[in-house]
Amino acid sequence: MTDSSKKQEKQEDRRKFIVTSTIGASAACALFPFASGIPSVLDPATRDKGNSEVPWTKIAKLSSLPEDGTPTKFEVILAKVRDAWTTYTDIPAGAVYLARKGEEVVAFNLKCPHLGCAIDYRKNSNDYFCPCHNSTFALDGAVTTENSPSPRGMDTMDTKVENGEVWIRFQQFVPNIKEKVPV
Amino acid sequence: MKGIMDWIDDRSGIRGLVKEALYEKVPGGARWRYVWGSCLTFVFFTQVVTGTLLWMFYSPSTQTAWESVYFLEYQVAGGWFLRGVHHYMAQAMIVLLVLHLMQVVIDGAYKAPRELNFWFGILMLGVTLALSLTGYLLPWDQKGYWATAVATNLMAEVPLIGPIIQKVVVGGVEYGHHTLTRFFALHAGILPASLIGLVVVHIYLFRKHGIHVKEPRPKKDSYFWPDQILKDAVACLAVLLAVVTLTIYFHGAPLGPPADPSNEFPARPEWYFLFLFQLLKYVPAFWGAVIIPVFLVVWMFLQPFIGKSKVGHRINVGFWWALIAGSVFLTFLAVSEDQANIKHGAAIEEAKWQADRVIEIANAEGIPPLGAVSLLRADPKNQGRRLFAAHCASCHRYNGHDGRGYPVDDPQSAADLAGFASTAWVTELLNYDHYVSDKYFGGTKFKDGTMARKVLAKYTEEENKLLPEIARLLADEANLPYEEKLEEEKRDELLALFYNDDLDFEDGRACIDCHDIDSEDEGSAPDLTGYGSREWLIAFIENPEDSRFYGKKNDRMPCYGRDDKLKPEEIEILVDWIRASPATP
Repeated sequence: MTDSSKKQEKQEDRRKFIVTSTIGASAACALFPFASGIPSVLDPATRDKGNSEVPWTKIAKLSSLPEDGTPTKFEVILAKVRDAWTTYTDIPAGAVYLARKGEEVVAFNLKCPHLGCAIDYRKNSNDYFCPCHNSTFALDGAVTTENSPSPRGMDTMDTKVENGEVWIRFQQFVPNIKEKVPV
Repeated sequence: MKGIMDWIDDRSGIRGLVKEALYEKVPGGARWRYVWGSCLTFVFFTQVVTGTLLWMFYSPSTQTAWESVYFLEYQVAGGWFLRGVHHYMAQAMIVLLVLHLMQVVIDGAYKAPRELNFWFGILMLGVTLALSLTGYLLPWDQKGYWATAVATNLMAEVPLIGPIIQKVVVGGVEYGHHTLTRFFALHAGILPASLIGLVVVHIYLFRKHGIHVKEPRPKKDSYFWPDQILKDAVACLAVLLAVVTLTIYFHGAPLGPPADPSNEFPARPEWYFLFLFQLLKYVPAFWGAVIIPVFLVVWMFLQPFIGKSKVGHRINVGFWWALIAGSVFLTFLAVSEDQANIKHGAAIEEAKWQADRVIEIANAEGIPPLGAVSLLRADPKNQGRRLFAAHCASCHRYNGHDGRGYPVDDPQSAADLAGFASTAWVTELLNYDHYVSDKYFGGTKFKDGTMARKVLAKYTEEENKLLPEIARLLADEANLPYEEKLEEEKRDELLALFYNDDLDFEDGRACIDCHDIDSEDEGSAPDLTGYGSREWLIAFIENPEDSRFYGKKNDRMPCYGRDDKLKPEEIEILVDWIRASPATP
């Protein structure tokens, strides 16, 4: 190997080093601003809201529900709701149908499990009916037609009766899937 | 891959563009002194990206601005880091701007044919300062609120249209929702968009005339890629490292207590505006807001022409050095004046306390729709300090200060109430020397009263030894949250001492001779049943002239309840605050 080719090789190595470092340093600078915000931007996706956090909410007196099991609609007023930084008190969060079954109560979310329209109770046919896409539900919440647009029956929630008061754990569920999964 | 690139290149000519961008000639070789422009571009790019990400969390209104920033800072994963990077990058931008400007001036790169680009640079300096100013207000904390109010008041100094400009910028006469929406639109929309446009023109003009190099050339010519870009990238990395270090060291950007127009705070701008702040102590606002800035702008505009001659160039360089030296000096004055001012230090400490406190409550209870400022207003710990400072501290003290940490101008004329009714406090009170000192009754007529002259001053050594026991009994009556209760037996024993059952005290010097505990008798001195307890202290503050307390012997203590000087709930807050913690040594 001659001196000049050695020198040339050395120069090429140097150039390669410069190019690699330049690309590396520039890429680091270009990516950093985005990287600095990744944990914050992804924060909502990494927060898990388990079922245990759903609080009990008082809805009505048991005596106000018809004994024959006819559903009655009630507003759900949550005592405390946190929306990001604000903590609201006594805030309307939705509505439910309550139907009495002896000393117990079943609670259905007013929202249709199909796409979230508000479900009506039809007195004449004594069933539930969604006026958006015509899903129908029996009094126990089950879908009544074979080709129902709704993939599942109406969403029930935990209920309890204490000292003559009806309490529920009000929840929303992922719409338009077969399983009932809390959002 | 090559096929796709060819396809794109055929339709866009991207290769030629990249080549042109990268193979710009650098006459005289790559140099470190050319890195500032690239650094500024990098910093601005970072600000645009991090700013847009911050946008996802920010809500501009008076009830949500501070609150959303708090949420990002304390609840969102990595929020403090994102905000910290944006905060310290902004400061780095100012430093880099000065370095860039000085390099241009010293090298003479502002002269023909680059005048236009120099002016664009000055314009960009102005836009960057406006970005800093508008960004300072957005968290809606005390610091931003009070400091920015000064800046917008200065706008009104502009002749004829000043008041209109001010109203347009503020979105009305008073600071409110529209101040934030407007500042936000300026900070995240108008100003950065203008800056992007200016950067494009600036870089275009820079490329048109090339790098200004001083002859003789230090090295042989090279190209922008990769030699100069490597230097640029290394410098950018250094800036990045500095910003990340600052962010981690200070754990993000500061967030003061929420803005409250009724809660005074010493307005100070960000450090790079301190020289202007200091200047306004010496010149009228009109000079600071109009005459001096206009003079500077005109002078800067003329610099390329002045710089045509050698002497002119020297004058220009001298002008900038003088401006920097003057700014540094004024900044130094501003900082040292504040450091020497005890009240300023106390105000900063107080704000820090309030910030910590409101964050503590927000973490525990959440923030109501009325905003975080309502949390502080309803907080006994915060209101107790404020009530004490406003209503008690002109005579009393709390650990030697006004309850919040501020020194008091008026001479102390009543007792220091830190640790009131605690064993330590009462023990000291029962010592004659302390009793007549300023810390207790030295400023009142009680210093010459019966208790001082005929009782405490006369106690024998044996009697003096018993006084700490009496103090334990009285402190037990107070039922303070930080002191242990006495056992029943011990209390009975101490009560016997108080009643002087065993004649330990000389007749006339026994407590029971004037004071009373647990009986129906009315002594000539304050009843000590439940002394220092919540009920006792509330009743005392309501009416110290009641026969249960000082009666007619009361020395200037106002009857806060009887005379409606304080609302009942305010007296309760005050009492709870006084009783909450021991004195700090």
